[in-house]
Amino acid sequence: MTNKKIVYRPISREIEELAREHGNDSESALELLKEIQSHHSALTTASVTDAARALKLPPHQLYGMATFYSMLSLEERKKILRVCDGPVCWLKRASGQSSVNSGQLVNEWKDKVDCEFSVERTSCLGLCDRAPAVLVEDEQAGPVEANEAEKICEGWRGVPTDYSEVRKGEVRVMTALIGKIDPDSIDDALANGVYDGLKSALLGDPEAVLAEVESSGLQGRGGAGFPVGRKWRFVASEKRTPRYIICNADESEPLIFKDRVLMDTNPHQLVEGMTIAGYACGASEAWIYIRGEYEYQARRLEHAIEQAKSKNLLGENIFGTGFSFDIHVHRGAGAYICGEETALIESLEGKRGEPRLRPPYPPTYGFRGQPTAVNNVESFCAVPHIVKHGAEWWRNLTGSSTPGTKVYMALGHVKKPGLFEAPFGLTLREIIEEFGGGMPPGSQFNFALCGGAAGTIVNESLLDTPIDFSSSQKGISLGAGSFLICDQSVSPVAFLRELLHFFAAESCGKCTPCRVGTWRSLEILNRMAEGNGQKGDVDELKTLANLMQDSSFCGLGQSVAIPMKSVLTHFDAEFGKAEGN
Amino acid sequence: MDDVAKEAKAFFIIGSNTTEQHPVFGTTIRRAVKYRGAKLVVADPRKIDITEIATLHLRQRPGTDIALLNGLMYIILEKGWENKSFIDERTENFDEFKATVMDYPPEKVSQITNVPVDQLYEAAEIIASNNPTAVLWAMGITQHIVGVRNVMDLANLQMLLGNMGKAGGGVNPLRGQNNVQGACDMGGLPNVFPAYQPVTSPDVIEKFAKAWGLRTKDEFILHPSSFILSDKIGLTVTEMMPGILEGKIKSLYILGEDPVMSDPDTKHIRHCLESIDFLLLQEIFPSETAAYADVLLPGISFAEKTGTFTNTERRVQMVRKAIPRQGDARDDWWITAEIAKRVLFHLSSFEENEKKEERRKIDESAPWAKWDYKDTSAIMDEINALTPSYGGITHARLEAGERLQWPCPTTDHPGTPILHTKQFTRGKGKFMPIDHVPPAEKPDDDFPMVMSTGRVLYHWHGGQMTRRAQGLMQVYGESLVEVNPDDAVKLGLNGKSKVRITSRRGSIEAQAWVTDRVPPGMVYANFHFPESSANELTHASLDPVAKIPEYKITAVKVELV
Amino acid sequence: MAVNIKINGQPIQAEAGKTVLQVAKEHDVHIPTLCYHKDLNPTGNCRMCIVEVKGGRFLQAACVTPIWEGMEIETSSEKVMKDRKLTLELMLANHPVDCMTCDVAGECELQDLAYEYQAKVPAWGAKGTRYKVDSDPNPFIRVDMNKCILCRRCESACAEIQGRNVWGVAKRGFEEVIVAGAGVPMLEARCESCGQCVAYCPTGALSNKMNYGMGRAHQVTKVTTTCSYCGVGCQFDLLVKNNKVIGVASNPNAPVNGMALCVKGRYGYDYIHHPDRVVKPRVRRYLLEERGKTKEDGGWDWIDVEWDVALNIVAKKFMEIRGNFGADSIGLLTSAKCLNEENYLMNKLARQVIGTNNIDHCARL
Repeated sequence: MTNKKIVYRPISREIEELAREHGNDSESALELLKEIQSHHSALTTASVTDAARALKLPPHQLYGMATFYSMLSLEERKKILRVCDGPVCWLKRASGQSSVNSGQLVNEWKDKVDCEFSVERTSCLGLCDRAPAVLVEDEQAGPVEANEAEKICEGWRGVPTDYSEVRKGEVRVMTALIGKIDPDSIDDALANGVYDGLKSALLGDPEAVLAEVESSGLQGRGGAGFPVGRKWRFVASEKRTPRYIICNADESEPLIFKDRVLMDTNPHQLVEGMTIAGYACGASEAWIYIRGEYEYQARRLEHAIEQAKSKNLLGENIFGTGFSFDIHVHRGAGAYICGEETALIESLEGKRGEPRLRPPYPPTYGFRGQPTAVNNVESFCAVPHIVKHGAEWWRNLTGSSTPGTKVYMALGHVKKPGLFEAPFGLTLREIIEEFGGGMPPGSQFNFALCGGAAGTIVNESLLDTPIDFSSSQKGISLGAGSFLICDQSVSPVAFLRELLHFFAAESCGKCTPCRVGTWRSLEILNRMAEGNGQKGDVDELKTLANLMQDSSFCGLGQSVAIPMKSVLTHFDAEFGKAEGN
Repeated sequence: MDDVAKEAKAFFIIGSNTTEQHPVFGTTIRRAVKYRGAKLVVADPRKIDITEIATLHLRQRPGTDIALLNGLMYIILEKGWENKSFIDERTENFDEFKATVMDYPPEKVSQITNVPVDQLYEAAEIIASNNPTAVLWAMGITQHIVGVRNVMDLANLQMLLGNMGKAGGGVNPLRGQNNVQGACDMGGLPNVFPAYQPVTSPDVIEKFAKAWGLRTKDEFILHPSSFILSDKIGLTVTEMMPGILEGKIKSLYILGEDPVMSDPDTKHIRHCLESIDFLLLQEIFPSETAAYADVLLPGISFAEKTGTFTNTERRVQMVRKAIPRQGDARDDWWITAEIAKRVLFHLSSFEENEKKEERRKIDESAPWAKWDYKDTSAIMDEINALTPSYGGITHARLEAGERLQWPCPTTDHPGTPILHTKQFTRGKGKFMPIDHVPPAEKPDDDFPMVMSTGRVLYHWHGGQMTRRAQGLMQVYGESLVEVNPDDAVKLGLNGKSKVRITSRRGSIEAQAWVTDRVPPGMVYANFHFPESSANELTHASLDPVAKIPEYKITAVKVELV
Repeated sequence: MAVNIKINGQPIQAEAGKTVLQVAKEHDVHIPTLCYHKDLNPTGNCRMCIVEVKGGRFLQAACVTPIWEGMEIETSSEKVMKDRKLTLELMLANHPVDCMTCDVAGECELQDLAYEYQAKVPAWGAKGTRYKVDSDPNPFIRVDMNKCILCRRCESACAEIQGRNVWGVAKRGFEEVIVAGAGVPMLEARCESCGQCVAYCPTGALSNKMNYGMGRAHQVTKVTTTCSYCGVGCQFDLLVKNNKVIGVASNPNAPVNGMALCVKGRYGYDYIHHPDRVVKPRVRRYLLEERGKTKEDGGWDWIDVEWDVALNIVAKKFMEIRGNFGADSIGLLTSAKCLNEENYLMNKLARQVIGTNNIDHCARL
């Protein structure tokens, strides 16, 4: 290009070498950036450019990634301590005080930490059951308060939650082996029947498996509830090969941590479910896209995959059936939007995690443009049981009209927060009283956020409405199955602010309504929560919510409106007051 | 170009730095490769920009194109990839050609060209298995002593594969200047009238004599100042210059050209121009050549004139006047016409004074004898009448929005986007056996490196226009000589620094640009800047047929300044 | 295959696979767009072209939504108009309100839409204080990211038209910003300064530096012509104001190049008005003094003369030389830069008037 601004500079040897190790593959861009960052204290313009040159990609693409994913940085940092500023952690730390926002809580940590760590904020870490939580390099820690920073510096990481105890009313299928097996031992798993589903699947033909999953009525557990069997049918009926299976383990929505627990307690169950999916769809290769903050779980999965391969439960010619299947673990790097399946695929292909145009949908045009089934961790975990025991068993497992069981999470102001597995159709009251052990003394129910951060905020009027995938029409959503209970101490205005804080931080920026709408909504809510509301604020929030819902590019923007609109409906008096009327 | 960009399954680019010299066409190739999945083989000693997206880059030694092409054709024949029916139906002389190609087995070719054998096979496979493959070439092919042979050998390749006369195929020369095609079409060549009508053909001479009001030879006794059409092929630019020193050329009328910058061996050119009796230069700027001119007449830029240009794909397009002429400058056609009128007047009176035999020199009643054009559209009328391929290309049609590529013989003809679809101009395509000939100047102990020359994206030709464009100068304000990093280490070049490049003819100093674009042992220089023009170093070894100098290979030595 | 749809109640049969926007355009139904450009792959980013599809939960972007059998589309329902206006206002909130002095006012698509929808500039927002104005040292392209609406047409144009991939998107959410390469100046990001991004930018975020402030769309005359550089034959419009060429603009109807141009074609025009231009015939002094060719006594000085004087000298010289040494002692170098018509006359001069075939040009060089 004979542009004299270009000074000859060969690609750094180190980066060229690392790129080679990663297969000089454009899909390895994210891994490569992470590795370069881990070798130095930050990425630089030069290292990003070199990585791009080595992979023969445009430098802007890698720079776009380096500035998109929150775990990558061009700022010089030492070891990193990431303080979760998600709504559950905020609730724990601020006890619902509207005057305290999550930013202040992160600053508190900055003041307290005097060891070598750089403190920075992070969106929800998926450690809501361990709130308040932090991530120490790649080690999950919690519950831990800022005044315990010294202990963190010394290596203390808090106490993980134990789920081996079965709560009253639970029907454990996917969580049945929690605490009963060593998750890192395949022999334990095999002794307890894991992989039986795969074995029985491989005895029949793929069509039989497909039919069984279809007739089980299993609905996707990521939140949307799309029938798993139908999705697989789309993929299996595509003529083009190769076809791919992707497990969406990018569990990044505030309030949700079930997939982490499932992967942590029984990784082989997921491997088995994915392998069955591969068999049913005629796929040969799969990826687990796991959020970068779940490094511990990623390693556990890698270990499980290795073990499964060593037993020929995975790999070439499984059990001599001629079916070969391989699973890779791919780590994200901090982006909620990557939980959107097309953004996840973009990210997997080594790009910014921005949603794609749809149609075409992933079953016809997914990873590498090939037919791809993307399912949630929990969905895959249900599959082996369906195949093993049959669709009918699954449908008759509970009395609910929605077949099977669901993993729920109860958080906030309940006596026994945590995770449990139960039938569909529970009411909020049941979740609080029966599974959550009731509200603590002095706490009165104020509102609950249902499903996840992008769920509905309800008041007591919906306490007795049975919840399933269709109940959102009645105003209460199931989503991914998490319920955050807030008592009278929590201001709905401040709480919505925290949600918008999350959405504004995680909006990818692609479309105007979400990019500016989340930012503007947060600006208004900040003001209102601090007592500086203005007349017209509520109307503007409603207008913005409608715009984001109607006109956003993808589900992220569309769903921001759900908590906004529901809370504005149920708590119009509080919001009116915050306007300063 | 459109068909090539849209329909070629593969491109074979040889001797064309497409993205820098024909940038917009270069982008269409980039698009075809990136988004349409077309394959691309680039053969170029330099790692030019377009090699970044190439399926395969062959880095042949400069001056070994024929060996390379023959080697590829050897493999095609060896593998049986040739298009047998095309060869049978549309071509002749295949056997003789084949015998020559069979002297170029891959191992031998690899030795000559320095291209690894496996790359030769890969290239041959890409070119042969993608149908059609378009061959694109430019000055990198022609500016050699074997330029014409290079071109013929490319035609051989495309005939062998049956890629001639096909949308997305063919041999596609990329013309360097905006209206090189038009200048050739309009008879700006020593051997042909407009539309390539040979000056040696009695029929053609008679046609133009009648049109222009001249007597034909048999009516007339030869006379030094006779008004007769010469049937003697004239001199090329590369022959006229030395012709000055030989006393053959006494006067030159140069229209908008800058031989001091653009011709090889600048020192020699200066010497020639200093020796001329009378040099008329018609230019918009006082160019480097202006120093030698006796008269300098101010022409105008394209923004001030109306008329037509013909692009590299024979497309005739309007140029439209946007602003008034600057100062007292005049339309170039007006100046030429005025000179013609005055010479005719003077010659008549001169000869009358000499009391020569009384005769009308020009028959003004002939249809196109006169020079009183009112505008370029009137000139185009004359072109329409005398230039068969331009017969139907009028300003009126172009202004009406018609898109015309010649041949377009009549006003109701739609033009011809692709040539040779049914048959070649001469009937059957003739395979020409071509052998490798080493370049005229080879590196030796005194001049151990090879210099190639060309242009850069930001400048154009002698740089008269682009050196006066502020922004272009900001990006590329001085000559940079490309030097390989290995050579830079050997020379002790640390970062950017000045080098002196010396050939047997001269020496220049320029900033070095250390880059792996050039292979070790090679430097690349341009001729945009008078203070460090590569043509101070180049030599005037010509292709025997096309009389094009071998710019691409000069033996030089490079030193630190 | 044809499908039957309705746009605003009007039954339309259209080819399957087309987008709502394409069909609407074919039937003269106006749908506003910003990130969409017919030459570029649609991205659906800006959400201006949203329409209401009967039965749909959300509004759909017309530029990326394919039609299907039985589809019923409303292109200007109340909801649609309201959302479009609001989306515009979200853009305007973070766009400088300096149309008074902006170079592209009058051809700015954002301005046109704001006018069409009578959108208000909200009191909140960044209003052009986020980035440095004229932030890139590129000599041709003026970058003012404050005016960017993140439609990404620059990114697409650079990738899809120029194949260069200089521009990209960095950061995310509200912080999202367009960058060159790894956040470096354009030229360092291997920009070829073709200006395609400027041609496709719908606002003043990317504009031309050389003529910034020299003339707006309605003040210039456009003259379509053919480029004077290489042989590709690109066409473009010369922008003329007060008898001066102040710029070059892409002409979408150019047969060879469409909107594409290269750095020389788009930005190498200022030589036209360079003070070095020769604007008066010049002859060497010796020619006026009837001396022989000499450099002595100022004989080689240039003297500006009238055309008649210069032309008569030339004619006389040619006549003498032809008389003394024969027609073949004169050579003509015609010009590959000049018109066909001019080249033809040079050929005619050589052959008809001088009587020689000594005519050539620099095709060989």
